[in-house]
Amino acid sequence: MSKPDFAPVGSSVRRNDARGKVTGETRYGGDLAGVDALHVAVLRSDLPHAEILAVDTSKALALKGVVAVFTAEDVPGTNRHGLIRRDQELIASRFVRYTGDAVAVVVAETHKIARRALALIDVDYRPLPGVFSIDEALAPDAPQLHAIGNILTRKPILRGDAEAAMREAHVTVEETYLTQAVDHAFLDLEAGMAYMDGDVLTLHAAGQWVHEERRLLALALGLPYERVRIIQPATGGAFGGREDLGIQIYLALAALLTGKTVRLDYDRAESMTARHKRHPLRIRYQLGADREGNLVAAKVTVHADTGAYASTGDAVMRKSASHATGPYRIPNVQVDVIGVFTNVSPCGAMRGFGAAQMAVGYELALDRLATELGMDRLEIRRRNLIRNGESVTTTQVIPVATGLQCLEEAQTRIGWGQRDYETSQPTLRRGYGISAFCFGLGYGDGFPDASRAKVRFAEDGVLEVYTGAVEVGQGLTTVMAQIAAQECGVDPESVRVIWADTHRTPESGSSSATRQTYFTGSAVQIAASELRLQLMDIGATLLPIHWDDLTIAGGEIRDRHDPTQAVPLDAVLAEGRRRSYSLEASGIFKPPTLPSDPDGLSPRSFITYLFGSHACSVLVDIETGEVQVEKIVAVHDVGKALNPMLVTGQIEGGVTQGLGMALMEEVIRREGKILNSGFTDYILPTMGDVPPIEAVYLENADPGGPYGARGIGEPPLIGTPPAILSAIADAIGTQVTELPATPERVWRAIQEKQQRERSRDLGEPASVRSRQ
Amino acid sequence: MSSTPSSLPPRGSQANDDERLPVAFTLNGETVDTQVHPLDTLLEVLRDKLRLTGTKGACHEGECGSCTVLVNGIPMNSCLILAPQVQGSDLVTVEGLADGETLSNVQQAFLDLGAVQCGYCTPGLLIAAKAFLETCPDPTPEQIRKGMEGNICRCTGYVKVIDAVIEAAKTMPSLKGARHEQA
Repeated sequence: MSKPDFAPVGSSVRRNDARGKVTGETRYGGDLAGVDALHVAVLRSDLPHAEILAVDTSKALALKGVVAVFTAEDVPGTNRHGLIRRDQELIASRFVRYTGDAVAVVVAETHKIARRALALIDVDYRPLPGVFSIDEALAPDAPQLHAIGNILTRKPILRGDAEAAMREAHVTVEETYLTQAVDHAFLDLEAGMAYMDGDVLTLHAAGQWVHEERRLLALALGLPYERVRIIQPATGGAFGGREDLGIQIYLALAALLTGKTVRLDYDRAESMTARHKRHPLRIRYQLGADREGNLVAAKVTVHADTGAYASTGDAVMRKSASHATGPYRIPNVQVDVIGVFTNVSPCGAMRGFGAAQMAVGYELALDRLATELGMDRLEIRRRNLIRNGESVTTTQVIPVATGLQCLEEAQTRIGWGQRDYETSQPTLRRGYGISAFCFGLGYGDGFPDASRAKVRFAEDGVLEVYTGAVEVGQGLTTVMAQIAAQECGVDPESVRVIWADTHRTPESGSSSATRQTYFTGSAVQIAASELRLQLMDIGATLLPIHWDDLTIAGGEIRDRHDPTQAVPLDAVLAEGRRRSYSLEASGIFKPPTLPSDPDGLSPRSFITYLFGSHACSVLVDIETGEVQVEKIVAVHDVGKALNPMLVTGQIEGGVTQGLGMALMEEVIRREGKILNSGFTDYILPTMGDVPPIEAVYLENADPGGPYGARGIGEPPLIGTPPAILSAIADAIGTQVTELPATPERVWRAIQEKQQRERSRDLGEPASVRSRQ
Repeated sequence: MSSTPSSLPPRGSQANDDERLPVAFTLNGETVDTQVHPLDTLLEVLRDKLRLTGTKGACHEGECGSCTVLVNGIPMNSCLILAPQVQGSDLVTVEGLADGETLSNVQQAFLDLGAVQCGYCTPGLLIAAKAFLETCPDPTPEQIRKGMEGNICRCTGYVKVIDAVIEAAKTMPSLKGARHEQA
């Protein structure tokens, strides 16, 4: 038992899944199947856009060791899936729309045979013209990808009169920023196992929302929900990349149609080819301010390349719109976010979800405005950050808007007032950057968003927590154990967490949208505090003392005024069982949000907002364009750090992914084909790239979260790219406007700046102010 | 127009599937004597044949270090080694780090200091850290950044990994058992 006054919530409790992870005993999706499992492999389209005229599987079927080959004709049910729109087929029946669409599924005795069989399937394609960029897709005579055309959705924000305010502004800036397609690159490749357990199709495969995955699979395969069971194995990262259905589809089909135990293991190339990406955005940002630097208007047009299918694109676009002006007070706003279909891999959820890209836009535009006004970049942020009780762009009033406090913390820690530009070599230039941002938690926009949890004392006396939420590495099972332990007075390391099994756990929604600490944390707290009341009720009669005077901690119930008057929980549980107490309780947490009106406005678009600020210093080699980040300070107001070690771990990891987005990560596609589908060419931050990171959290309590907590999954990624880009601009005197800021792009920006200066010296008109 | 799969050709496609070579080595202190396909990687043999799934594959091209094992004390990417190449070698995988129920100092430091998140890179990092500390027993953060750069972690940002390696260094058992065969 823990020490009497140990409070599990707020302590850096060690992860309850770490031991198995350091011994190698933990089983991930690829570690489960025995040697008898059949192997599944997927034939993927190598054309970006084509009509399938015929698929001949006879040669593949004739190969020794091949058990079955399935095409769209074999799929029972609707053969359609998609988290928001069911616009994607499990196996393409007539059209393929990106290089990676599934065309056939092989089941064979070995992995090698399955791969060989793929090469023996003859697909007769009629190639169709493709569209590979936003402009191609929007051209008047462009081939259309879907019945709705090439525009997935448009999400507006219209507030005040941006046109008029921009005309009257003392100073305006206008720039286009380009962000890139990014891969989640979780290390644990998609892999899993499936079999029929009686008539229940059972999958062990990692997703981010097992209950929704069950619904989608059941419909697509024509099965009742209860005949599909999904159990999430240990999962090596997700970052949004496991939100769309992937391996689940082919595992389910193969197990259902063969009746055998099957496994599927993507390699890295298939993982990167098949899976959705972060949306590349083209952000046209116009920002205006008055003479004192108060922002008066923003006009923002965003084109997002959403790829071949909807995925979660609608929601990403909405998040880009609602976060288009970040944490700033701007009375007149006009935003148009346009999601465009192209014949490249679908784009969808990734940590930051449309908000991360927009932060690059509003922060760099704000820097430009500061330059025009001759203001310090810190000062313009101080002036325009919203304060408690002011609203973000959707008109939602934010009661705890602590962006300024985060900013001051970040600037103090980076030493903004003592910036030192001295470097060891003449070719090295130092720069400092600072960013501010906010982030709305949960699905938002009126989408039903709920989490459920159950807690109980099991027959062996162990406190159990049941949640449908998935643990993907973030530490959810540890935090839920802490909350239950806090309420029921037990050691958090003793709590057993049963999670993400559609047949055993209640639905808790997805591990996404920075929502699980807030939602499932609340559901567990509600349930566990109910259970606590049962314990108190029993304890009150055992002692006997009125429960108002009792407290529960350290494995016992005791008089809060006289700790010697105590009864151990074991005795309380025994007495409770004798008297038929259930010793279990359930909780549901379902706070409402409101859908936006036709102007994109809503008084409660998200359940709450988190504010943050990052600052950094970089060194730029002006001869090579190489950027070395020296230090990053990352401040977030988390409300309450339920587990400081996990909170800082999330911050450090998110910052590092942000560094990757800023400087190196980019999925390069030509004619729809990914050119860098492996880690040799898709460059991830290594230990050598990542500088010291100061992960800082503030704790201004959230009025609605458990113990005042918000969440910390996505925000740490958001502040880093604009801070680094700002620092680069500070070092070289011009902005890099296209991400990632590779050495080549930085070098080009330097050259173009020099060229502009030479032109100016020669008296030529400075017509080119910005890069395309 | 007919299609070809977009991925690489199957591994081992040039050799007869039934071809086998004997290979013997020591694995976590135990003798292993087995038959492998000539083109099987060490990673495949460890995971699929010997069922030691602690060692992970993530890129299969030597970039990420998830599959790191010790071969005669030297950390190597087991995805790049053909199994017959380790004939007669002494191998250590993550399963060989703990002494029964007692975690090694590196494992304990990773667990205590939060260096584990999703855990998928952890086995490779632990092996790399063990080898690194044997060559550099009192490292600075900068030395760790250079010395362990071959192991990618997508979750932690490396901060707590570096902290854990420094902590493990403080609690390193004496180096009398350490091997000194490094190149």
